[in-house]
Amino acid sequence: MRFDWVNILATLIFVSIVVTLILAVASYFAYKVREARRPRTAAELRQEGQGKVFFEEYHPAEKSNQQPDESARVPLNVR
Amino acid sequence: MANEEITTPNNPEPRPIGRQPLRPITQLLISIAIVVLVVIATLFLFKYPQKLGPIFITALVVTLGTFLLLLILRHFIVIWFSYLHARELAHEEIPESYPFISIVVPAYNEAAVIQSSLSSLLELRYPYYEIIAVDDGSTDGTYEKMKEFEGNHYGVRVSVYRKENSGKADALNYGIRRSKAQLVVCMDSDSRLTPDALRYAVYHFQDPNVGAIAGNVKVINRHNIWTKLQALEYIEGLNIVRNAQAFWRTVNVVPGPIGIFRRTAIEGTGGYDSDTFAEDFDMTVKLLADGWKISYEPKAIAYTEAPESLLDIIKQRYRWTRGVLQALRKQKRLLTRSNGNITTPLSLWYMIFEGLVWPAMNIFANLFFVWIALIYGMTKLLVLWWLLLTVLDLLIAFYAIVMEREDLSLVLYSIFYRFFYVMIIDVCKVFATLEELVGLDMSWGKLARKGRI
Repeated sequence: MRFDWVNILATLIFVSIVVTLILAVASYFAYKVREARRPRTAAELRQEGQGKVFFEEYHPAEKSNQQPDESARVPLNVR
Repeated sequence: MANEEITTPNNPEPRPIGRQPLRPITQLLISIAIVVLVVIATLFLFKYPQKLGPIFITALVVTLGTFLLLLILRHFIVIWFSYLHARELAHEEIPESYPFISIVVPAYNEAAVIQSSLSSLLELRYPYYEIIAVDDGSTDGTYEKMKEFEGNHYGVRVSVYRKENSGKADALNYGIRRSKAQLVVCMDSDSRLTPDALRYAVYHFQDPNVGAIAGNVKVINRHNIWTKLQALEYIEGLNIVRNAQAFWRTVNVVPGPIGIFRRTAIEGTGGYDSDTFAEDFDMTVKLLADGWKISYEPKAIAYTEAPESLLDIIKQRYRWTRGVLQALRKQKRLLTRSNGNITTPLSLWYMIFEGLVWPAMNIFANLFFVWIALIYGMTKLLVLWWLLLTVLDLLIAFYAIVMEREDLSLVLYSIFYRFFYVMIIDVCKVFATLEELVGLDMSWGKLARKGRI
């Protein structure tokens, strides 16, 4: 049985080109999905107009002028 | 020298100027239209190939033949001019004096690599230089690691500054403004210079018309297939092209990992701009526009950490492609004006050819020969096409690796370099080009550093 090297090589080349193209396109879209899911930095969030980045901002100067919040106190379990 | 410490809230990253992005719905409609057109064309080509007239097929074959001829011509021109430039450098003389140099190292969240980079700078075999390290508002302790190097180290002064986060371009300008040296080295914080890099580079500045020197960037972390392919790409795709362009003193990219500039040349351009994502290419084009010559020194070597995964490579090349397009759009007048130096517009047109036209032609050519083989059974054409390109790649890879005295085993990777690695990069470039034309938003994004340098 004679091997047709040209056809074997052509098949290998054809498969590698097609697989590489599929890999390339899939990788590109995987990269876009990864970028879309990347956590945004505080600067980017502000740029997008999301005002409050933190749940609650702590201002020591303001807190010292207010009455202590009784409901926020957690009783200590002292044995 | 007093070091300034500025800790202010982060500023938003600079956005490209001069182009308003299209509305999301418009972007979506254009994307859908492109996909539909490609699907229809593919179905048509495979279902009704006989409807394509002989004139159309002939035109395709002529186009591909022209592309192949241009490719062969490009390879031989690059080899020839890089050889001529290497012969010029073989006769280089040791400079009579060494000017004072400032090395500016901007860094943002580079805690994994900054100390290795700064250590390598303290080992340079150059008599008169200083290091200006600029922390661009890092949040991972980069500034603290830089501060450990502050002071005087055997005659080398290391100054460390911290500024609010505003991008690499601003950080470079910040450092350059604090330099009084005649020459400035702008480098990346994940790069490591070889000890003699500066000594070889300053030779070129004896010509008063030279404004900048591009260094030789090599990949240091060659331990998987992706990094080895990038190592080959840097040698045969980037460095040898710079070597050839240097014969005409019109290198079109002074790379970020190592660029040596005449400080007056940078100041004359107004410094780095923050409106593109390829500030190194942008600065190079501005220097060419001002009439400066730009050369290349193969012995001014900087080792850099290349992305180790496919997605990170795509991220990097996506940014490079869009950044180059943004810079070209800014300086489009240079494409048609020579300012007395025809090589400048030629160099930029070559950039467009290699960055935009060539990737699309490469993908189209591969798809055409696959289609011809499937529909008409002309498998010999497909094999011949592959053989021709592979032989060309082997030839140029062998030449480039021997010229740079690099690892000969990298030549073997050129066998599947074009049909595997380059195809993936070309697809990324085509998508990035389409996105830039459509005006999709993008952000800088940081590559994760592994600390390999």
